[in-house]
Formats: sequence, C-alpha cells, structure tokens
Amino acid sequence: MTLQHLRQSQTKQPVSAEAQAALVAKHPCFSKEGHRYARMHLPVAPACNIQCNYCNRKFDCSNETRPGVVSKLLSPAMAARRFEKVKQHVPETQVVGIAGPGDPLANPKATLASLKAISKIDEDVHLCVSTNGLALVDQLDALLAAGVKHLTITINCIDADIGQKIYPWVYFNQQRLRGRKAAQTLIDRQLLGLEAAIKAGMLVKVNTVLIPGINDFHIDSLAKELGRFGAFIHNIMPLISDPAHGTYFGLMGQREPSKRELDLARQSAGQSMAQMTHCQQCRADAVGKLGQDIDLAAIEQDNAVADSTLRVAVATSSNQLIDQHFGHATQFLSYLVSAESIEQQRSIDWQQYCSGSDQCADDKQQDLNQLSQFNTVLCSRIGHTPLQELSDLGVEVNTKYALREIKEALLEIQQSLINQVKPAKRTVCNAGECS
Amino acid sequence: MSVSITKDCIACFACKEVCPQKAISSGQSAFSVIAHRCNECSDNPNGPQCAHICPVETAIVDNKGQALNPLGSLTGLPQDLNVIALSN
Repeated sequence: MTLQHLRQSQTKQPVSAEAQAALVAKHPCFSKEGHRYARMHLPVAPACNIQCNYCNRKFDCSNETRPGVVSKLLSPAMAARRFEKVKQHVPETQVVGIAGPGDPLANPKATLASLKAISKIDEDVHLCVSTNGLALVDQLDALLAAGVKHLTITINCIDADIGQKIYPWVYFNQQRLRGRKAAQTLIDRQLLGLEAAIKAGMLVKVNTVLIPGINDFHIDSLAKELGRFGAFIHNIMPLISDPAHGTYFGLMGQREPSKRELDLARQSAGQSMAQMTHCQQCRADAVGKLGQDIDLAAIEQDNAVADSTLRVAVATSSNQLIDQHFGHATQFLSYLVSAESIEQQRSIDWQQYCSGSDQCADDKQQDLNQLSQFNTVLCSRIGHTPLQELSDLGVEVNTKYALREIKEALLEIQQSLINQVKPAKRTVCNAGECS
Repeated sequence: MSVSITKDCIACFACKEVCPQKAISSGQSAFSVIAHRCNECSDNPNGPQCAHICPVETAIVDNKGQALNPLGSLTGLPQDLNVIALSN
C-alpha cells in the first residue's frame, strides 16, 4: 500500500528519479542519509503574514531552541558573509535554507537577495525555503529563478474548522482576516502553492504540527491529500507548548502529544505519505549537522581577527575631500582597509541616485545592491531613503568625516579597526525571559 | 496625520514590508513612523496596512494614542493570562 502510493506520487513528480535522488541525498532535512552533510539557516526574514497559536514572536533567547526563534537578524549581505565563513569551517555545508524567523515569502526582497548572493558564492549549494504557503503562488517563479529546488510548506490541516483553532489571523490582500475565513484562505493558498511547486519540479516536504485534540484525528485525511498532490515527504512534528514561551497554546494549557501519540500519527499517515522521523525542529538560525549545531559566535569571533578588512566606498567630487552628497555621486572611490595597509581599488561608476534638484523624490527605487559589497560608505550627506536601504543591506553609512580629507578618514577607520580586534561578548539572556 | 509605533514593537519588519508610503523607519530594536510620509492609508478602504499585519497588540497607535490593535484583539488571550505571561 505504502509503496504503491509512493510510486504513484513519484510518477506525478516531473523530476526524473535520478535527479530527485540527487536532490535528496545531500539534504539532511529530506533524508536521514543526508546527516553527513551540514545545513545552515539564514535568519533574514523577520516579518510574518499569519499568526499561529503555537508561535510567539516576542521571545528570543539563545537557550531556546525552537522554530520561529532567532538570536540576531541578518541582512542579505551579512548572510552571504556568514555563509562564506561557515563554509570555510564546515566544508560539508551543502544546504542553505531560509526559514524565518518569520515567513521567508513575507520578506521576498531579503529572501531572494540572500538566495542570489549565496548562489553567487557557491553555485552547487542546495537552496531551500520553508514557508507557511500563503504567498507561495505569488513568489514561486521568483524562487525557481533563484534556483530553489527544496521547499517545505507547513500545512497543519485542510479543514478550515480545524484551521481556525490554529490560526487566529491571516494577513491577505491588504486585510487581516480572522476566523474560518482566515483559515480557509490560508488552506486554499497552501494547496494551490503545493500543487504549483510540485508541477514546477520542486521537491516538497510538508511539515505538520501535531496538536492533540485539534488536528490529531485529521492527520490521516491530511496525509492522503498530500499523497494525492504528490508531496515528497511528510514531517509530523510534536507541538511545543511550554507556557514559558508565552504562546497561545502554551498559556491556555494545550498539552503536547506523547511520544506514543506521535508514533501512532506517523504510522497511520505513513499509509499514504513517506514519513520523516528525524526532524530536530531547528531554530531559524541553526548551523551545522542536524543535532550537532555549531557555535556561531565562536566562528565569527575566530574570523574577526583573520578577515579584519573593510571595504570602504567614498563619495567625492574633488578626489581629495569627502565632499559629495550620496545622492549626487556619479562614482565611488573604493578602498580596502586592513590593519596593515590601505589599498585603493578600482572605482565604481554610478548612476546618480538623485536627479539633481535639492528635493529628492521619496519613491526613488534605484537598486543599491551594487554597494552591498562595501562595509562602509563615506559621504558628506545622505537622504533618509538610501540610508535605510543601505542599512538593510548591511552597509554602514558614515557622514562624520564630511568635508575632511579622504586619507585622514581612512587612517582613522584603520585605527578603529586595529582597536576593534577584541572579541565581542555574547549576551546572556535574562533568567526571567526564558525557561 | 500619522500613526506611531510604541515601545511594544518587536522589530519584525512586517509593517515595513507592507507600508505603501515607505513611512516606516527601522532601527536596531525600535521602529518609528516618518510622520510626514504617513497618511494613515486614508486612500485605502482597508485602513492602515501596518495595523493589519502587526503581530503585537498596542504596538501601533493613532494620533490620539489609541491602540489600533487593542489588548486581547490579536492573541484572543484572556487578560489575566496576559498578565501572567508578562510577569513570568
């Protein structure tokens, strides 16, 4: 029965069996054998478009390990840098996923920019995204274009009466939907997305949170439906409802399933869907092999000394002083500053950000991505919009050297770089905030 | 005419993603509204988009200081439980 169903679902997969096997083999979240390979989650996607009753976005503590929680948010440029560092330390990092801490597809700009930056560094890495599915249909083409082949959708039920006990609200089409309508919208969009992603050749895993008394009796029909759609694997995970996390379920005393209940649910769902049983319910910033997470702080500290070079862009009209407004610059001088040296690199030709009048339009949409290779931009002044966008890209803008000599400014930056080589302290969480 | 963001903000960027006026300014841990850009989405029949997606009650208030998502309106939690959660 199981085999027959699996074969059925495989014939629906537009991917060839070999291609699929290759996709699965190195991914620890799609196959047990993938364990030899490491994965990293990039926490670049903070916003979420739905609320789940098992999630509380307020809490963040490094002692807590659960999905939806992350210690420090990264910009796409910082994410790319972290990937490079981790790859140096853990060359078996084959999988890079974006799983939050919100929903990756509620943050399409950051998610896609990160995916593109990663595949630029390493085109062989497997890119993967985990989503609630609400925005999947809208973003599918962009994900495919970015090279995403692994997708995880969390589908907890296909019945809106159950769904309204799990999702208090859903933000869709510019409105906050509630109740049955919210759940129905989410479920419809999840199934549409599931179907479209499978048709497009993605390998789709479905996560389901097992919630006793709410969706446990429904797992069977859910799994049957997923099998019909041709999902690759089903991952039933136990609800985490420690009241200390402050989730609705936690505070309302919703109990977690027992080990036996989880096994039974997996067994019966296994009739129609291949089951994954080795999920570790990772955080959105996990790094390393499953169950052996790596201490990121150690890696980043260690590297702080080794790669203490800064890329600095300078807006200047005189080539002597930092005397150019960011919006008026038509080129940026480029410098590589390290403790030992200051080297001038090839300067960057730039299309003027502002058209020339003193009043910059607020809706400027010029792509600033080209500057994301820099750590710092020096200029005399800058408008609010580009300042925000650059800071979102992880680029620091500094106007304190306005009208001073470029050389002098670079020497000061070099000096602060030399002073800075002290390792950053790890913040300890307040005992009251987490269990 | 502008909404504003209170200290209850958890800096999740959701409002910034959906604001049609690009009026949300993001800092390390605190966000704010650039007042001259915000029009409270007066041209949108659905009302302020930031308030529709914000996951935290009382984080967004109108110009009278009234929360657009009052306590209890999003989590559905009874108020006494909320208090336990805060003092925990």
